[in-house]
Amino acid sequence: MRRQVPLILCFLFGIVMMLVEFSPHPISEGLRAEVIKWDLIIGPFALVIGVITLVHTHVIRVKRRVEHWQYSYLVFFGMIVMVAFGLPTGPKNEVFEWLFDNVQVPMEATMFSLLAFFIASASYRAFRARTLEATLLLVAALIVMIGNAPIGDVLWNELSPVGDNIPSTARQWILDNPNLSSRRGIILGVSLGVISQSIRIIFGIERSYLGGGD
Amino acid sequence: MLEKLMSIDRRIVFVLVAVAVIIPTLLKVSFPITVSQPTRSVYDFIDELPKDSTILMAFNYGPSSLAELEPMAAAVLRHCFRKNVRVIGMTLFNVGARLGDRVMSETAAEMGAVDGEDYVFLGFRPGGISVILGMGTAIDSVFDADYRGKPLSEIPMMQDVRNYDRIALVLDLASSATPEAWIVYANTKYKQQVAAGVTGVMVSELYPYIQSRQLVGLMPGLLGAAEYETLIDTPEKATAGMSVQSFVHLLIFVLVVVGNVAFFIQRRRTQ
Amino acid sequence: MEVLGIWVAAFFTLCIYSFLYRDNPFYRFAEHLFVGLSVGYGIVFSIHQGLIPFAWDPFWEAITKREFMGLLKLIPIFIGLLFFARVVPKYSWLIRYPIAILIGIGAGRAIPNVMDARIFRQVYGTLTPFGQIHAGALGFFEIFGAILMLVGVICTLTYFFFSIEHRGAVGGISKVGIIFLMVGFGSAFGNTVMGRVSLLIQRVDFLLSDWLRLI
Repeated sequence: MRRQVPLILCFLFGIVMMLVEFSPHPISEGLRAEVIKWDLIIGPFALVIGVITLVHTHVIRVKRRVEHWQYSYLVFFGMIVMVAFGLPTGPKNEVFEWLFDNVQVPMEATMFSLLAFFIASASYRAFRARTLEATLLLVAALIVMIGNAPIGDVLWNELSPVGDNIPSTARQWILDNPNLSSRRGIILGVSLGVISQSIRIIFGIERSYLGGGD
Repeated sequence: MLEKLMSIDRRIVFVLVAVAVIIPTLLKVSFPITVSQPTRSVYDFIDELPKDSTILMAFNYGPSSLAELEPMAAAVLRHCFRKNVRVIGMTLFNVGARLGDRVMSETAAEMGAVDGEDYVFLGFRPGGISVILGMGTAIDSVFDADYRGKPLSEIPMMQDVRNYDRIALVLDLASSATPEAWIVYANTKYKQQVAAGVTGVMVSELYPYIQSRQLVGLMPGLLGAAEYETLIDTPEKATAGMSVQSFVHLLIFVLVVVGNVAFFIQRRRTQ
Repeated sequence: MEVLGIWVAAFFTLCIYSFLYRDNPFYRFAEHLFVGLSVGYGIVFSIHQGLIPFAWDPFWEAITKREFMGLLKLIPIFIGLLFFARVVPKYSWLIRYPIAILIGIGAGRAIPNVMDARIFRQVYGTLTPFGQIHAGALGFFEIFGAILMLVGVICTLTYFFFSIEHRGAVGGISKVGIIFLMVGFGSAFGNTVMGRVSLLIQRVDFLLSDWLRLI
């Protein structure tokens, strides 16, 4: 009941979904549409787990008075404010949108923009041509960087007597050729892995998604 | 001296980066943009569409990649509205809902496009791949109303659009793996033409799909947005941004070279 | 309201940038508030654009219209509700039912579509140019590109093939694979720099233009 039924459900839904993909018959198309609907209905409930886990984590932080526990109240405050304005009327609420535009968006955008500083610092400290492989990586990165920057073509066209727009052309060649080959190799390898893992899941060989316990 | 150079406080590098952004921004430096083929392919595809064709734009990004993808969205929308190509907007990310709605309504207001006739924003539905597959069967089985709650049956431009059959192109503006989901499930299953505009981080990994013609074209981050602005002859934020970007790239280039020169001199000395 | 919005956005932008100096209360304040707002935003959207159209509306329709077929929609809704079993430790194992269904659906549809889109079509893309070479449709550089692509794909795949020890010829081929991979990763790094710097440029533009009005 606790493990066998989920394994059977996984097998049934997996097999049905796989078979209907191959068959253009109206009955199988209908079945496929129905399974997709089930997925769409069940899926949103999964988001509950995320919220429960986050709230639980911060409740524990407050209870145990871990370092900076006071800030957990801010998490609850932010959450309650958004829900209070958004839930009754829906996401087209003016205050809800204002909070998103002027608080959430700037903070998230700025948080990720910090990476520009860290990537520059890391490039200076750690990007070393120690080996042939590292040198290739470094050279490719520099060519793509300069090829991406409009100033690369401008400087080349001004200073070099040979060819036009060579930096952006070289960048494009790298992306179109060696990059494409290596990425395709990765795609093929990963896809074979996805397929074998999917088969293992459907046939109940891979069961880690059931978690621990009986 | 060399050791000092090798171990400078990282905050000095931070200041250099800040200066490399602030000064060119204040000076409004501008460089011409060279357009790459993958971006041109997206532009050409949309440009050659007959009047009153419909494309679907998926705003699959959040605030963390807004800087790269919003200028791209605005440029493509301007092009579509100018060419009388209708646009259906939607998103598979909840954060994309407000961002997609905002950029569509602002660009439409600027271009005089009418909600429900020239464009419609359907909003967000959770489910990812199932949303993509469900829309292939019937759009109204996934989105029964637009973002403002108006039923699809009451929206003029949706009257003859039931599924992907009448959608000429899906353009995925993405900050994660959604272009691959559109390729695997919309292109493979429904023969839907797919193009993508993605963040710089993702550009390299999508090149195999251009060569295999599973992607019509690909716009690479802010550069892609600037290229599209160049193609529609409307330079905006992305073009200005790429000019500023040049100085930071040059700075990082110099930092890497200096770091390596110092590293090799030091290594030779120790040997 | 718009001016207030700009000042609020500028304040939080500076709070986050203060982290560049070091971790501090302003950063922690903004960070935690951001987490809370994001979760609140997610809850509103999950309910209004997920649960209501997919679960509540069909449920209400089935109840009010009393249609047998409509009532069938109650089954997935009931299965979805089993996610709430997570909060009751004694019955938390019930959560495996919806997870198993979602995973089964995902795995089942991945097999044929991934095989087609990411294996057959990619292999086809690799080999198509050779048909064109045979037809005499490609120039020198295109032929070189096609051969380079085939060599790159084979060598990269060999590098990931761990069933054979990487010695001798296999070792040599996988080393060539590493070269292709390194150039690929290098190009990804170059593009990543562009992506990260773009985010910074947008924030600086906001501060200088919208907030300080210097531009």
